[in-house]
Amino acid sequence: MTEDEKLALLKTILLTDDREYAESITHKINVLEEILRERHRLSEKVSPIIKEQLDEFTKNIPQNLGPAITESLKIQIENSKDEVVEALYPILGKMIKKYISQEIKVLSEQVNKTAKDTFSMQGIKRKMKSIFTGVSENEIIISDLGNAKVEQVFIIEKGSGILIGSFHLKETVDEDMISGMLTAIKGFVEDAFKQSNHDLQSIEYDLYEIHLHNFHKYYIATAVSGTFTETLENELENFNLEVSQEINKKNLLDSREALEELLLTRYSALKFSNQ
Amino acid sequence: MISKKIVIVGHFGVGKTSLIRRFVEDVFSADYKVTIGVHILKKTVHVNDKEVNLILWDTEGTDDIEEIRKAYLLGTHGFIFVCDVTRPVTYQNIESQTQYLKDNFNKVPIISIGNKSDLLPKGSISEKKEELEFLDMLVSAKEGNNVQRLFEKIAKLLS
Repeated sequence: MTEDEKLALLKTILLTDDREYAESITHKINVLEEILRERHRLSEKVSPIIKEQLDEFTKNIPQNLGPAITESLKIQIENSKDEVVEALYPILGKMIKKYISQEIKVLSEQVNKTAKDTFSMQGIKRKMKSIFTGVSENEIIISDLGNAKVEQVFIIEKGSGILIGSFHLKETVDEDMISGMLTAIKGFVEDAFKQSNHDLQSIEYDLYEIHLHNFHKYYIATAVSGTFTETLENELENFNLEVSQEINKKNLLDSREALEELLLTRYSALKFSNQ
Repeated sequence: MISKKIVIVGHFGVGKTSLIRRFVEDVFSADYKVTIGVHILKKTVHVNDKEVNLILWDTEGTDDIEEIRKAYLLGTHGFIFVCDVTRPVTYQNIESQTQYLKDNFNKVPIISIGNKSDLLPKGSISEKKEELEFLDMLVSAKEGNNVQRLFEKIAKLLS
C-alpha cells in the first residue's frame, strides 16, 4: 500500500462518520426550514405553546395587571368626568327607568293583592277607616306599604335661619348650613311669588320630603322618608303642634341642650298610625 | 356657643365670595365666578374666651342694595359692606346704602370695608385710608391682610 493509499484509507476511516452526521444535520435543517416556510406546519408546532402561554397570561391578568388597569382607569375617569357622565347617563337613565317601572309593578301587585282582600278583617277595618276619615282606600293601602319615618328634625329661627335645635337618626352634613339654605330657599320662594301671607310647606328632595311647619318665631323642618301621604302629614302637623306647645311651656328656645333632649324623646318615639 | 348671621353685601366683583373663602377655607382663586342667589358658609371664631359661630351669607352682587331679596337679609345680626378700593363706583353711594340697611334692619352693626388693598401701589395705603375715611378697614382677600381681623371684629361686636 502506497503512502497515498494509506492516507486515503485513513481519511475514509476518520471522516465517514462525520459526513453522515453532517448529512443528517443538513437534512434536519431542511426539514426545519420547510416547517418554518409552511405556515400550517409551523402553527401545528407553535400554536399549543402560544395557547399555553396565553392561557397562563390570561389567568394572571387580574393579579399582574389589575392594579395598573384600575389606576389608569381611575386617572382616565378623573380626567374626563364629563365624558364619562355623558356616556353613562343614558345607560343609567334606562336602568333607573327599568328599576322604577319594576318597583311600580311590584307596588301595583301589592295594592291589587291588598285590595282583593276586601272581605278580610283588615279589609273591612280599612274600609271603615276610609269612610270615617274621608281618606281614600287607595291612599291608606299605599301608606301602609311604604312606612314613613322621621329622619331629621330642625327647629330653625325664622328670618335669620339660625338653627335652634335638631334631632337626627344619622350623622348629616353641617346642620347650620342646612338650616341657612332651607331658610334661603323658603325666603326665595315666598318672596318670588309675592305671597307674603303664604308659606312654603314642603320640599321634595331625593327620597325625602322635607315638611316645613311655621310657628311664630321659628319653623320646624322635618325630613321624612318613605311614603308620606296627606293623612301622615296631618298627623305630623298635630305632633309638631304638641311639641311646639311643650317648647313654649318649658321655654326651651334658649336652651339648646334641653330642647334637643325633648326632640330626641318625642321624635324618636313618633309612630305614624299605619305602623 | 352662640350663632350669628352675617350678611356680606356689595357691588358685583368686589370680592365678597373671595373674602369669605379666604376666611373660611384660607384659599384664593383669581377665577371670577358670579354668585347666584345666596351661598352660605360658616366658621367659628373665639373672642373674649367665647366661641361665636358665624353663619356667613354671601349674597350676589348688586348695584343697589335694595335689589337684594329682603328674605335674605331678615334676622341679620351684622352686615359687612364690601367695596373695591380700585373702583369708586363701588363706594360712591356707600352712605345711602348703609343708611338703608340701618333703617330697615334694626340698626344692626355694619362694617364697611375696602377690598383689594393688594392692588394699591406700595406706600400709598395710608394715603388711600385717609381718602376713604368712611371705610372701617382695608383688606385683601388675595393676600389675606386683615381678613381674620375683620371677622373677629364683627364677632366681638356681636358677642
